[in-house]
Amino acid sequence: MLFNSLSFIVFLVIVLVLYYANIFSWNNRKRILLLASYIFYGLWNPPLVILLWISTIVDYTAGKKLAVEERQGKRKLWLLLSMVVNLGFLAFFKYGNFLLENFTLVMSSIGLDYEALPMDIILPMGISFYTFQTMSYTIDLYKKKIQPARTFLDFALYVTFFPQLVAGPIVRAQDLITQFYEEKKATTQQFIWGFFLLTIGLFQKVVLADTLLSGTADKIFGSKSILHGLDAWTGTLAFSGQIFFDFAGYSTCAIGIALMLGIILPDNFKYPYASIGFSDLWKRWHISLSTWLRDYLYIPLGGNKHGITRLYVALMITMLLGGLWHGAAWTFVIWGALHGLYLVAERVLKQRIHIKINAFNGVLFALLTYILVNFTWVFFRAREFSTAKNMISSMFFMNPDGDKILQSFDIIKVLVLISLLFICHWIMRKSSLKEMSHKISPLILGVTWAIMIFLISISQGHSEQFIYFQF
Amino acid sequence: MNLKKSLVITIALSLVLLSSWEIYWRLQGYYPTLNDEKALWAKHRANVETATKEDIIVLGSSRAFFDIQLKPFEQLTGKKLIQLASTGSSPLPTFHDIVNNTTYNGSIIIGVTPGLFFSTTFPEAFPWKRSQSKVNHYQDRTYAQRINYELSVPLQKSFAFVSADEEEWDDDIDLKSLLRQVKIGNRTGAPIAPPFYYFGDVDTNRNMAMTSRTATDTAFANTIIKVWEFFGNGVPPPDKASTMAFFLKDLNTFKARNGNVILVRLPSSGATRVGEHEVLPRTEFWDDLVKQARVKSYHFEDYDTLKDLKCPEESHLSYEDAIYFTKTLVSILTKDDAFTNSKTN
Repeated sequence: MLFNSLSFIVFLVIVLVLYYANIFSWNNRKRILLLASYIFYGLWNPPLVILLWISTIVDYTAGKKLAVEERQGKRKLWLLLSMVVNLGFLAFFKYGNFLLENFTLVMSSIGLDYEALPMDIILPMGISFYTFQTMSYTIDLYKKKIQPARTFLDFALYVTFFPQLVAGPIVRAQDLITQFYEEKKATTQQFIWGFFLLTIGLFQKVVLADTLLSGTADKIFGSKSILHGLDAWTGTLAFSGQIFFDFAGYSTCAIGIALMLGIILPDNFKYPYASIGFSDLWKRWHISLSTWLRDYLYIPLGGNKHGITRLYVALMITMLLGGLWHGAAWTFVIWGALHGLYLVAERVLKQRIHIKINAFNGVLFALLTYILVNFTWVFFRAREFSTAKNMISSMFFMNPDGDKILQSFDIIKVLVLISLLFICHWIMRKSSLKEMSHKISPLILGVTWAIMIFLISISQGHSEQFIYFQF
Repeated sequence: MNLKKSLVITIALSLVLLSSWEIYWRLQGYYPTLNDEKALWAKHRANVETATKEDIIVLGSSRAFFDIQLKPFEQLTGKKLIQLASTGSSPLPTFHDIVNNTTYNGSIIIGVTPGLFFSTTFPEAFPWKRSQSKVNHYQDRTYAQRINYELSVPLQKSFAFVSADEEEWDDDIDLKSLLRQVKIGNRTGAPIAPPFYYFGDVDTNRNMAMTSRTATDTAFANTIIKVWEFFGNGVPPPDKASTMAFFLKDLNTFKARNGNVILVRLPSSGATRVGEHEVLPRTEFWDDLVKQARVKSYHFEDYDTLKDLKCPEESHLSYEDAIYFTKTLVSILTKDDAFTNSKTN
């Protein structure tokens, strides 16, 4: 089920009515939430709920054993079971065909004629999110950082909680499971603020991403032509805006819906396009994934504790795997590699050049960071390397006679919107929506909110899927 | 921060804005309409799974959609009609789907619009992709999508501004379409298509009827004729060999399980008809199709009662003429015992 759909509106109203009906105990309300979460997921593809159940049962059992088992060997085995099941799901459902294709390529490169038919595998929606979430639970228990879930119900709800089930934020056990222990009820302020966040999220997705930007990005990245530089840049900028509004929109909806239920989810985006440098970017973009990768991959790989070379290797491996997490294609690996290189280059430069950041040079560095990020988006969005290569050469204005496939209005629309996006991120980079809302009058907030609802309503759209659902 | 106050303002202002928007478009002549979208098509495609041999399916392009009217057809034949024709599409992917993915073995009326029927089998080509995308949607649709569609119908029927049609008409009034109408010069240098306005209303039974404006307002009908001219000039040459081979293969499979196909060439008029005769001469295309298909086939030009029908925009019949055409066609088919597969031309 998609947040930007009529069925979700009806679903949410029913859930809220049952949740606040005052006729159920807290345990029963949690059962309602769990059932609702399975319905939310199952209405997309019912049999794939079984994967959620397996993940839940395996990790709950492993977690319980890890909490009481003292023998290191056994503890390792329980952790291994959790990892094998979760990573096994990912490997089969997400990377099965990718692995098969590359195996075939390797075979043919060494002269062995091996031809395998691609497997007809459905990618379960949100599998990368919930497997990472449940893995964090068993890893944290293994490291004795957290206590196990008190009940199976609490754990099952942690794995399946519908607002963040399919595209995050990837929440840690200690941040979410513990919230299920006590009865939760949103205050009136929280409920209304949650509804406001839901509106903003839908506005970002339906109006900004799908209505204003997706068409231009799709047209450019769908083109087989060598493009004029302005077209290539416009398409890439459009995609940079589309993916931000799409994904941040989802996260904002998720946070808002959870808040309407009295549950607090962490922020996933903090105005990332005003980042000054790439380490700043990864503290602002998809925060729940970057912290997950930091805690469960980068630090175990050595982090910054074992010298500079090991640090660079750890950074590169983390970013390469981070790229692969997004999709089973080499273009995603290149995307990750570029980010890894940017991070390494930034560290090298920071050691040699010391610049005091002020508002003046800060905005220039933010702009430079954003421009460099756009080159990575080309690999993220392009389905083939040839498309990416053509796009990059056009973005360096090496194809002055390239095809002009965008009309002037499309270019103006994208450039104005992306400029506003950048300016907003810059203004807000040290602030938050909540802080901002305190500074404006209820009238202005109400009018802005109404305009967003109006624009969502007249955009309508066709309930386009969120981009990150495929990851 | 007084959120309650903000919420009250939001609710009140949202209602005012949306009501004003609805009233504005109603004053411009808009009225609530149902979108002809793939969800509606899929809903009717699902009926094929439970269809009996007595039920009849219509496939084809927009002419079969506009010209064959459900009510008179069902009244006169006593049979249930499943309308699966689609605008701007080749019927071959949908026929292929029914032949290969169902056990249906009743009668299928295939409306033949030569320019689309013989267009292509290339999966990425417009006429093919449009049909195939509907088939794909039927096969892949989720329960959530089905519920979304059912919930959207009352809204579509109640509000004029709910109009995000997949067809992308130039008079659509969703935000994306309104922005699409803003044009500053022609940077690409590509030929600009003439505006293509909405000209038919569909209902939940997938019965399509030409709007009265199209039938009575010649200037408006001419805007649509210009679209046919534009598409006609830019269209690639027909691919008779591959389309015929593709169709005949499925036809033989269907016939082998006792299925019955009826080919109908639906009316066109004016320059469109002249153009069709020039680019896709009857003897070379229709007559050869009939000869090779060896199924009951009916060309409107062969019937005095049909050959002089005039299409207001040269390609589709007005609602009134479509009723007349349907009644006449049914009487011809019934007289010819066409709904059984015992005879061929």
